[in-house]
Amino acid sequence: MGSVRIAWAVMLRDLRIELRTREALLAMGFYALLVIIVFSFAFNADAALTLRIGGALLWVAFLFAAMVALDRAFLRESAEAALTGLQTTPASRAAILAGKLGSSFLLMLGLEAILLPLFAVLFNAPPQARWGGIAVTAVLGTWALASVGTYFSAMSVHSRQRGVLLPLLLLPAAIPAILAVVQATQTYLEATGVANYWLQLLAGYDIIFTSLGMLLADAVLEVE
Amino acid sequence: MPTAESAADSGLRAWLYAAGTLALLLVALWWALIGAPTEATMGTIQRIFYYHAPAAFASWTALLLNAGASVAYLARRSPHADALAVAGAEVGLAFLSITLVTGPIWAHPVWGVWWVWDPRLTLTLAMWVMYAAYLILRQVTPEGSLQPRLAAALAVIFAADIPIDYMAIRWWRGQHPAPVLFGGPNSGLAPRMAIAFWLSVAAFLALMALLVQLRYRQELQRNQVRELRRRRVLQEA
Repeated sequence: MGSVRIAWAVMLRDLRIELRTREALLAMGFYALLVIIVFSFAFNADAALTLRIGGALLWVAFLFAAMVALDRAFLRESAEAALTGLQTTPASRAAILAGKLGSSFLLMLGLEAILLPLFAVLFNAPPQARWGGIAVTAVLGTWALASVGTYFSAMSVHSRQRGVLLPLLLLPAAIPAILAVVQATQTYLEATGVANYWLQLLAGYDIIFTSLGMLLADAVLEVE
Repeated sequence: MPTAESAADSGLRAWLYAAGTLALLLVALWWALIGAPTEATMGTIQRIFYYHAPAAFASWTALLLNAGASVAYLARRSPHADALAVAGAEVGLAFLSITLVTGPIWAHPVWGVWWVWDPRLTLTLAMWVMYAAYLILRQVTPEGSLQPRLAAALAVIFAADIPIDYMAIRWWRGQHPAPVLFGGPNSGLAPRMAIAFWLSVAAFLALMALLVQLRYRQELQRNQVRELRRRRVLQEA
């Protein structure tokens, strides 16, 4: 089997498991929803404030959801030593990681598609907001989080403190991506212009860390 | 196996190097506090510069060692490379902490605030968080071949992240003074300030090298002890 087919198979298998159990989706969705609701109380957001901090708010919610999805990506393999099973197949580690990256990306993106309209309603998004730009930012930003996040998820699965470790690694590494998505979303939300250079930065981040992740897949998925 | 004589020799050399570093640090301290003239607009507080910037240089050098050693580890899987990576990260983080503590002490009287989210400050803080996370990963990953491998894989990602981080942060904000040293025709230090500064840089780099070397040797010895213990357990079993 070619690597692309293996990656595809791993991705479909992960998505199928997820759609059957809905473990991550429910937890992620509810978590992100709670973040949005609690923040509306905490900031008592009126239209003017939403306009100023909307981008940040939205991405804090997405980030929390992403952490749950990424944590599940490899946790799903812990039952009955499924990870060791995957590792001992002749499939290339990069293909396995790519499949996991694809499934986490799609899960996160699907959830964002549901949350975005909800956010627009709850926070009274301004009528001039450019949703096309926000959607492009969401795709690039979600890929950025998924690319480093899947890699870190594979790393943290061996740790004694898995749940704490993933955000500890992901947040510092994702600083440029978080800066870029928040700035770009903010620009499109207020319709103050185009955020091309932020999108370019995100695209560059995506390319660099996806390639690095694939290159180093052997190091994080090696059998002991 | 090192002979008793060569061990004694290297021990003597290590002591001489440590004594030299201490002497250099004292000379640099004298120059920073007394030898260098007081800066015209900032006054005495500017003298913290002779510790602030050299600590930053030392931290970058140590973290560069960490990045290089991590790549070497992934390529060759040598425990020596891993020991150097740990030493570089720990010493680098210590010097980053000095930079981050001396910065606000200088900024408060001069800029009027302790902290601003300016590119360099933000990047330094981001790097501090990264290498703290790196050391935490080492702490919580079980010992054995897994720990150095995951640590090296993480170090490579972080090292690649720093330039992108710098670009993103620069676009986002822009208060830290331009580099005084290589920043164009009007930059530069008064001659006696330059002496104090470069002495400090040399002293901090020497201290960094000393600490990295000590930590490196200690890590290798720790590996040895672990290996011996493992063998004994196997023998008894």
